[in-house]
Amino acid sequence: MRNRKRLITAQMLSFEFRNVIGNPYIHIFGVGMPVFMMILICRSVAAEMAESTLYASMATSVFLGMGAMIPMATVLMGYGISHAQELEKGIPQRMELFGIMPGVSMCNRILAEGIFMLLAFGIYFAAGYGVIGVEYPRISGLLIYIFCMVVFSAMMFCLAHGIASLIRRFGLTYCVTMILYFVFMILGGMMGISYDKMPGIMQLFARMLPVTYINRDFYTVWKGESYNFMPMIQSFLLLGAVTGILLFITVRRGERKLH
Amino acid sequence: MLLSIQNLTVRYGQETALSITEPLQVEEGDRIGVIGSNGAGKTTLIKSILGLTPYQGMIKTRLRPEEMAVHMQFNEYTDAMPVKYIMEAILGTRIAGNARLQELISYFEFEDCLRKKYTKLSGGQKQRFTIILVMMQNAELTFYDEVTSGLDFETRQKLVEKLTEWYRDKPASLVIVSHYYEELEMLADKLLILDKGKVIDYGRKEDLFRKYCGRAVIVTDNCERNRSFLEKYKKLASPAHLLAAACETQEQEEQVSRLLLQNNVNYKRSNSDIEMIYINARASRAGEEESK
Repeated sequence: MRNRKRLITAQMLSFEFRNVIGNPYIHIFGVGMPVFMMILICRSVAAEMAESTLYASMATSVFLGMGAMIPMATVLMGYGISHAQELEKGIPQRMELFGIMPGVSMCNRILAEGIFMLLAFGIYFAAGYGVIGVEYPRISGLLIYIFCMVVFSAMMFCLAHGIASLIRRFGLTYCVTMILYFVFMILGGMMGISYDKMPGIMQLFARMLPVTYINRDFYTVWKGESYNFMPMIQSFLLLGAVTGILLFITVRRGERKLH
Repeated sequence: MLLSIQNLTVRYGQETALSITEPLQVEEGDRIGVIGSNGAGKTTLIKSILGLTPYQGMIKTRLRPEEMAVHMQFNEYTDAMPVKYIMEAILGTRIAGNARLQELISYFEFEDCLRKKYTKLSGGQKQRFTIILVMMQNAELTFYDEVTSGLDFETRQKLVEKLTEWYRDKPASLVIVSHYYEELEMLADKLLILDKGKVIDYGRKEDLFRKYCGRAVIVTDNCERNRSFLEKYKKLASPAHLLAAACETQEQEEQVSRLLLQNNVNYKRSNSDIEMIYINARASRAGEEESK
């Protein structure tokens, strides 16, 4: 078959993209919810605010923080449950028996997830600028935000793949990824309790998550102001190490062994 | 030689699911029917060859597992899109631009199913979908594991006819697991008989028939009247409702036939009945084990 020799093919990419959009959860939690939450929070805060300059910075800060929900919902939850469901049905093994190696499926899936997230962020940005009036960034701020989102999404992919491959059951994977989704949102300060108001133990865990810095500090980066990136980088490195190890273990575990 | 198996053992926990002690070889162009009751180790054998289950022993082949094609007992696909896109993704080609694929789709009358999602296909359509994909792999060695299980008689018969016709005069080697002996009569030229994870026998159909049943076998209903007619002839092991007489020579066969015809008894004559081979091979092995 021709696609054996090529990692990315139009047919495989189209297949994986249809797989991504065929999952209703990502439309609800990955597109609808971030837009809805962003507008809802900004509108409710705006009603209590008199000063328009403060509103703009608050709205931008909320916009940047809520953006992290997109990779968490589309990749962590969406890909996680979809992959677990496929594993439960034996679909990846069936694909492998047709000569579609797991690496090929994964590469096309990553690309398909990337395309979907690009579209989701497009809608999110359109809503942000069209409805709540997000402030325009400095080029450096925009580039760093994009870079952070790409890296964070990659980590969410590793985490989702690892969890789904370990559990291999739709229901339990759905439960675990949903819990993580809300834990990340709570610790990231997106659910009403800001980092400063969290108890000490919660702050300890919150400091380990990139989403905390994205939600709390990114306005400073967005506007090109001076910012100490070290804690944020450390949180990315920690999450990257954990998710990378998880992915490595599960990929090695799932390899077809020849004797 | 395409594939050889030596001292193969597969264990699931404490239980030995498969133990092949005698060397077993698959030659190029072989059509091997694998028979045995549930739990005999048929699917385990296929999974071992494909590297899907851990085993001890040696499976030697110049083919890599991904160069073999397999129709598993259960095949599932995503339900997020019509099967057309699954087909195109797996095969890495567009249906519209692939004449061979179009030929197969048309051969298996699958055109109207292309727009349907996998779960919306009937049992027979699901089997045909995987068969098309398997055939498109054009592999030197193809496994069909209970390809017609769960299908009604008519669909099953039609599917096997299509398979037989497609593989006629083609060099592909096939390993076909089936509980339906008539399918293997059409598709297989060799038999691998498994029982409780062990090989009872392996060889050409004709040789196995001669070994266990003789020259020909005459089968009638098992009733008192028929038992008295066949009293003096050698009986073979058979299902309880049937009576099977072994005929070692043509004269003996003619004698039995004449006797049954004269008495207006319905009978079936065969020199390749796989069910009789299987039953008698098992009975022979059971006898050997008892005598030990």
